[in-house]
Amino acid sequence: MVVVTGRELDSRRPDGAMSSSDAEDDFLEPATPTATQAGHALPLMPQERRTEFPAFRGPASLGASAGCVQRGPVLCHWTPPGTAGEHAAAEGREGAPGVSGTHALLQRPFGADCGDRPAACSTAEGPICEAVVCYRRKMSLKSERRGIHVDQSELLCKKGCGYYGNPAWQGFCSKCWREEYHKARQKQIQEDWELAERILHLERGFVFFFSTQSTYIVGDYIYIYICLGAPCFSHLYKLQREEEEAFASSQSNQGAQSLTFSKFEEKKTNEKTRKVTTVKKFFSASSRVGSKKAEIQEAKAPSPSINRQTSIETDRVSKEFIEFLKTFHKTGQEIYKQTKLFLEGMHYKRDLSIEEQSECTQDFYQNVAERMQTRGKAVPYHRPGLGLNLTALVPMASAVTTVLEGTKPGGISVPPEKVEKIMDQIEKYIMTRLYKYVFCPETTDDEKKDLAIQKRIRALHWVTPQMLCVPVNEEIPEVSDMVVKAITDIIEMDSKRVPRDKLACITKCSKHIFNAIKITKNEPASADDFLPTLIYIVLKGNPPRLQSNIQYITRFCNPSRLMTGEDGYYFTNLCCAVAFIEKLDAQSLNLSQEDFDRYMSGQTSPRKQESESWSPDACLGVKQMYKNLDLLSQLNERQERIMSEAKKLEKDLIDWTDGIAKEVQDIVEKYPLEIKPPNQPLAAIDSENVENDKLPPPLQPQVYAG
Amino acid sequence: MAEAQGSPGPWAAPDQPCVFKLVLLGSGSVGKSSLALRYVKDDFRSILPTVGCAFFTKVVELGVSSLKLEIWDTAGQEKYHSVCHLYFRGANAALLVYDITRKDSFHKAQQWLQDLEKEFPPGEVVVMLVGNKTDLSEEREVTFEEGQEFAESKRLLFMETSAKLNHQVSEVFSAVARELLRRRKREGPAQARDAAVALSGGPMRQVRCCTH
Repeated sequence: MVVVTGRELDSRRPDGAMSSSDAEDDFLEPATPTATQAGHALPLMPQERRTEFPAFRGPASLGASAGCVQRGPVLCHWTPPGTAGEHAAAEGREGAPGVSGTHALLQRPFGADCGDRPAACSTAEGPICEAVVCYRRKMSLKSERRGIHVDQSELLCKKGCGYYGNPAWQGFCSKCWREEYHKARQKQIQEDWELAERILHLERGFVFFFSTQSTYIVGDYIYIYICLGAPCFSHLYKLQREEEEAFASSQSNQGAQSLTFSKFEEKKTNEKTRKVTTVKKFFSASSRVGSKKAEIQEAKAPSPSINRQTSIETDRVSKEFIEFLKTFHKTGQEIYKQTKLFLEGMHYKRDLSIEEQSECTQDFYQNVAERMQTRGKAVPYHRPGLGLNLTALVPMASAVTTVLEGTKPGGISVPPEKVEKIMDQIEKYIMTRLYKYVFCPETTDDEKKDLAIQKRIRALHWVTPQMLCVPVNEEIPEVSDMVVKAITDIIEMDSKRVPRDKLACITKCSKHIFNAIKITKNEPASADDFLPTLIYIVLKGNPPRLQSNIQYITRFCNPSRLMTGEDGYYFTNLCCAVAFIEKLDAQSLNLSQEDFDRYMSGQTSPRKQESESWSPDACLGVKQMYKNLDLLSQLNERQERIMSEAKKLEKDLIDWTDGIAKEVQDIVEKYPLEIKPPNQPLAAIDSENVENDKLPPPLQPQVYAG
Repeated sequence: MAEAQGSPGPWAAPDQPCVFKLVLLGSGSVGKSSLALRYVKDDFRSILPTVGCAFFTKVVELGVSSLKLEIWDTAGQEKYHSVCHLYFRGANAALLVYDITRKDSFHKAQQWLQDLEKEFPPGEVVVMLVGNKTDLSEEREVTFEEGQEFAESKRLLFMETSAKLNHQVSEVFSAVARELLRRRKREGPAQARDAAVALSGGPMRQVRCCTH
């Protein structure tokens, strides 16, 4: 890290000659290694630490990022686990000196190079002083770089705790900043609760609240009711006007605050997950540490964090919603309050199954709609299926009701033609907020289904429009243009958050399909044409997270919009298309089972035959590919022929051998080997001899001794 | 989800006509789309869909009351039969269309009825059997009596039409609309969920075709 700083400096200096050691030696304690030693600093670390991260070891000359990474694990020295997302905290602690150590580390701004701290920190010296030294060095470096003299006192924490502060933390040191931040957040929470409380008490609809929301915050509110009860009630009413303004302004304040906080949080998350990137980011940020400008730039820079984007969009939608409701004055406020209450309720219901959450949402839609229709009439708000037993609360609730006699909760008076529009806005608002919790939740197998259908569509890549009887001729430029637009729309659906926006994408896609059919056929398309074309578009587009989207729309869109209306019609068609793709078989494509199996297994492609008739503007690579495929299949055929010939030859050979053997056998059978009886005369001699045993014995040679 | 009692959407304003969803069912090329197109086209007040003709809406005036019909055309090809039950959801009425010159389409209509019966309790949807293509009566394979008999046995409305000659087309839709209104009045919104009320209503009126 020391190297890093040095290098950076070099590049900034006109002569570029200043060595890194020169840059630092002025500020270094004697014990700390110089930049040139940086590469050797590691041996001072505990040995096993080094071996744990062999990948990080490398020559210091590897460059800035290598240097940074190398130092990463060293930080664990000082960072006890669980210190609020401090980087590398998860890696465990090693001789950590406790909170003060963390404090020291935190004291340095995020933008400062983490490796600035000398790697060879000796435990005797203590991490705090080390950190201070490092920080001092850093700050001095900076001032030198910019040529501005910064007084020591300006660098200290505003709280006067003796540690260095950081402009990024509004001049506090990390510990004090965290305290401040915590306090501010507590205060914010407190305020939010108070606001909610006041609204709840103020509004005539608070009985409504009692019967609906009490399921989860009963504990707190019962207490409030008992304490404040009726006497406070009239007084609280006066606050109503003030509240009207408050609810808008608090919203924007909240947005602004959450922005800074989310940034803080986000940084920490980043550090945890993508260490290398973060360290790089630190490096680049180190040149502008402390400047407010850098802070702003960073805030504006596109962030990879989804949470962050979410919060921006949520803020935008919230503002729009409030703006929209302002046109309805008091009614708008009532609606806003109901919606807020519902959202809070949903927050506590995250553990419930997605079906239950869906049911709650549908109930909410219906109740709000009913309340808007039955202007002035009280509508009991009932939410079935919630686990809490409310019987104990009934007396209390009724007592409160009697106090409030005459100010019963009633319908929300809204011009009838506006009802739908309001419902749309409510849906937009709540679903933008709930999206990340209820879209493709982990508790369901939506994701598995997504992957299954995606795989299925990929396997069906060979399906041609002809097989599906799609009345679309893509050779007409206008038609292929429409097809492309339709595919774009259906893919875009995944990027929308509000069910209604998703439906709008499907509708747009469908309109393009109708256009394509109309241009091809020169007459308006009927459902017989439309569904096959939609299937074809889905197969061609393979829209991401198709099942999740369908499920999400089904669960959280307004039911009446799904079952009736044009959007509902096209959505139903999409469901049919998906169901069809799942069930698709040889018969539905007018193919033989063998062909279907062969195409599915990827052995052949039906497009092969068409390769000659390809339009000239087809991509060269694709043409080449098909040519190669042709060649391969030809080779394959030849090989198969050779194999079969070889088999035939083998068989022939076997047959030939068998044939010869058979012939030989036949001949052998035909001419059996007959062993003739031995020649009679010869035998006769012997036989005769047998009978002549009466003969005198053969003469024996006699020896005469004389 | 399948709360299909002919009630309007939760937030349809009271002074606006109720919306009813009508599904066109039948095998391929029996004239479902033609029927709908003819019905919607011949009416000057209705706005024709610019591109497709698979989804229409039409306001039907019936004396003092009026209602809005939403006509959902479905793909009739045999291969899509297995997925078409998805169209039923939330339907208030269904037209079972068959081609009088094709016996198989008549059988197919009966099959559709079975599918409907699986999805809905009896009496929840208004079902009408429609024999189309009376202009081709010399090639007729399904007699008027056959159709009528079947309709009566299943308590369906029945009519024969010709989308080509625009014969009886609007009558079909207004008959359905009348039946929808009649049931709605009888049930009342409060008892909408009670299917038993619909059952006790006795046989439906038959709408006779006058020329055959």
